[in-house]
Amino acid sequence: MKKKVLSALLVAAMTATMFAGCGDKKTDEGTTPATQGGSAETQSEITDYGSGDIKIWVADNVVDFTKEKAEEFLASNDAFSGYTVTVEAVGEGDAAGNMITDVEGGADIYGFAQDQISRLVAAGALQPIVGDYATWVTENNDADSVNATKVGDQMWAFPMTSDNGYFLYYDKSVVTDPSSLEQIVADCEAAGKNFYFEINSGWYQPAFFFGTGCEFTYETDTDANFTACNMDYASDKGVVALKEIIELASSKCFQNGSSWDKATDCAAIVDGTWDSAAIKSGLGDNFACAKLPSFTGSDGQTYQLGGFSGFKLLGIKPQTEEGKAAVCYQLAQYLTSSEVQTARYEAVGWGPSNTEAQAADAVQSDVALTALREQIPNDVPQGNYPGDYWTLATSLGDTIISHDLNTKTSDEDLMKTLQDFQDTCIGYAK
Amino acid sequence: MKDSKKSAGNKIAGFFKWIGRDIADIGVTFKEGDWKTRLSFIIMGFGPLMRKLYARGIAFLALEIAFFYYIITFGWGYLQKFTTLGTQQAGWNDAGLRVYGDNSFLILLYGLLTIIFMLAFILLWRMNVRENRKEELQLKAGHPLKTNKQDLHSLLDSNFDKTLLALPMAGIFVFTVLPILFMICVAFTNYDYNHQAPSKLFTWVGFENFKNLFSFGTAGFGSTFFKVLGWTLIWAFFATFLNYFVGMAVAILINKKGVKFKKLWRTILVMTIAVPQFVSLLYVSKMFANDGLINSYFMKWGWIDSPIPFWTNPMLARVVIILINLWVGIPYVMLITTGILMNIPEDLYESARIDGANAWQMFRKITLPYMLFVTGPYLLTSYTGNLNNFNIIFLLSGGGPQNMKLTGGAGGTDLLVTWLYKMTVNDTNYCMAAVIGIMVFVVTAVISLIVYGILPSVKDEEGFQ
Repeated sequence: MKKKVLSALLVAAMTATMFAGCGDKKTDEGTTPATQGGSAETQSEITDYGSGDIKIWVADNVVDFTKEKAEEFLASNDAFSGYTVTVEAVGEGDAAGNMITDVEGGADIYGFAQDQISRLVAAGALQPIVGDYATWVTENNDADSVNATKVGDQMWAFPMTSDNGYFLYYDKSVVTDPSSLEQIVADCEAAGKNFYFEINSGWYQPAFFFGTGCEFTYETDTDANFTACNMDYASDKGVVALKEIIELASSKCFQNGSSWDKATDCAAIVDGTWDSAAIKSGLGDNFACAKLPSFTGSDGQTYQLGGFSGFKLLGIKPQTEEGKAAVCYQLAQYLTSSEVQTARYEAVGWGPSNTEAQAADAVQSDVALTALREQIPNDVPQGNYPGDYWTLATSLGDTIISHDLNTKTSDEDLMKTLQDFQDTCIGYAK
Repeated sequence: MKDSKKSAGNKIAGFFKWIGRDIADIGVTFKEGDWKTRLSFIIMGFGPLMRKLYARGIAFLALEIAFFYYIITFGWGYLQKFTTLGTQQAGWNDAGLRVYGDNSFLILLYGLLTIIFMLAFILLWRMNVRENRKEELQLKAGHPLKTNKQDLHSLLDSNFDKTLLALPMAGIFVFTVLPILFMICVAFTNYDYNHQAPSKLFTWVGFENFKNLFSFGTAGFGSTFFKVLGWTLIWAFFATFLNYFVGMAVAILINKKGVKFKKLWRTILVMTIAVPQFVSLLYVSKMFANDGLINSYFMKWGWIDSPIPFWTNPMLARVVIILINLWVGIPYVMLITTGILMNIPEDLYESARIDGANAWQMFRKITLPYMLFVTGPYLLTSYTGNLNNFNIIFLLSGGGPQNMKLTGGAGGTDLLVTWLYKMTVNDTNYCMAAVIGIMVFVVTAVISLIVYGILPSVKDEEGFQ
């Protein structure tokens, strides 16, 4: 397998060099981008944008939409007549991996989920957003989504959506009270239906820990090196959360998963807006959404489940030509503007990050987006997490699902597990 | 053991002797050679050209020119940086645009290529010297040299093997040998997601990754590596021998006199082969999931209270994988052994029966030795194949379930090869993956060599003639 991967890499690398040649090696001192006097200022002086092809990677369901909008944009200004766009379907999850493997062969503009941003910055796959563009992003988008585009103090992408959070979808005919986790589990058990919660995912799992008030964030410098980790999973609050996950996993109605397509006999699922249409058609009249439930912890207190609020971002690959860089900046800005975000919501239902687009009536009355809006105050805006964390979280989740950690496990052992988990997470920040 | 050591020592001594003789031969060629030969030491192919062997002469000269052209215009730049794998990191210029610096990946790749070309060039140079010597000796002895036409014609005649193999050899070099060498080199670098070319540099770290693989601290790979290795060996053992014996038993059963509808039984079994393996495996994987068909029906019928954790309990997952592999593998073994079983001379059984042997004795003394003799090499290849049986594991359990006690994202049913895959694709930890790749090779090679030596079909080639 390795051999195949490598030979593929080799072929890719050889092709890349054929085009790239051995370019000149003038390099600025240091690796931090010029935050002031960047291309935003020089951009106004450009009259000849040159020509070329701009490759865009976006999720499968917005390929046509993006192509249409990008072409409209290029047609709107004669100066861009030298450019063409190619839009390819590369999911937000894969885009980061593909970009990292081959930056030079990757797309010029690509959509990705915010949890990938530090990986991308570390691999040098993003062009910094500076000057007027940074100001524009800050002024026009909700504050959490603006924070999501930053690594350290540097902005690296345009926010595209503000809907990457999760909440509860449920079947009205089964679940009587969506505000209590215990009730949901009891109802599902009684009806012989399944309750899906992907506890072995680093994204869904913190719902419990954040719910009991645990903290887990990383600090990064501008090069996306993790410098510090604020984490207190290994505490009494953490043990309460872990016990609740174990309690949930011990129910016969519990299923690990967060994809409606793969779910069977599902009466409740913790999922995001992207599955909204599928669930709606699956549940029909019984379709309902709510913010995540609360639960009574082992210490007798009631906790509201938290979570990550996340964002989809649009990034630009580091550009080597001034003209093309300017076009890419403007195109990415247009693709995340209020007008296009509204149109995108209408076309595929992606919740906008642009404050003007958010105020639209259709967005305000959307059931799923409303549930998400109710959940967001309990959520932690998703910052940057090291790639290894996601793998580690799966390990913790799997350890629970396999009942290695179970309701009989002593508090000391639970604490030890959390301490290991926390130590490893802190170890990622050096 | 002593003998083999001695012979290995002899081989090494022999090699150095050979090198010494070769160098002496080069000296003799220069000393005894004429001016054409001597000049050929610098201008390759000069001798043959002057002796009117244009085809050979031009070939040597052209290759020399091509080599130096490659080195000067391309190779030297990469080779220079090979020791550091680049020092100039990518940065940003004043206009906020990307300026790429050294690309460690390409430096490693092309540096390696240049070193290989240099070694090849030394070989070519030696050929060139030998060619001159040969021609001179031939002329001295009064034999005429081959004409150019004869030379070229030989490429389609006595040297046809070289013509035919040129293209495949080039292909094997580019697509197999070079990547393997490259991968081995990567194992000695820190090429991971924090050192991703072209934006970041990676560099040599010596045996750091191997140390990490065998370190048993909390962050070390040691205990995980041996756990995964252990399961890999156990899996390969069961997957090979259970399939083999159960498959053989099924074949014997169907072959038995008095069993009706032989063809029907065989066809039913072969049906599993007819469906593409990855389709049936994905389907079966879903079937055994916690919310899959089996669990939901068992619960519906009230046989169980909560789902049986087929994939989420590591021990159970391992057992289920071996059993499912049995279902996939038996038909193949049955097909192979049916033919061989029919080949066992019937008189052997007849005489055994006359001597009063029972069925079990006949199986142990006649069938099994015969089968092992014929299928020994098959067993070995299928064992090594199972060590790297990516499909079954990846499609059924995806290597999961992961565990807090395992580092590097390894799961309870991960084989070394699936772990390696996850490491490259999910974590882009190329350097550790390369180390694991080398370990996979070592394990496979050691097992193959040892088992090959003790195979009855190798030890006693004429056993059943």
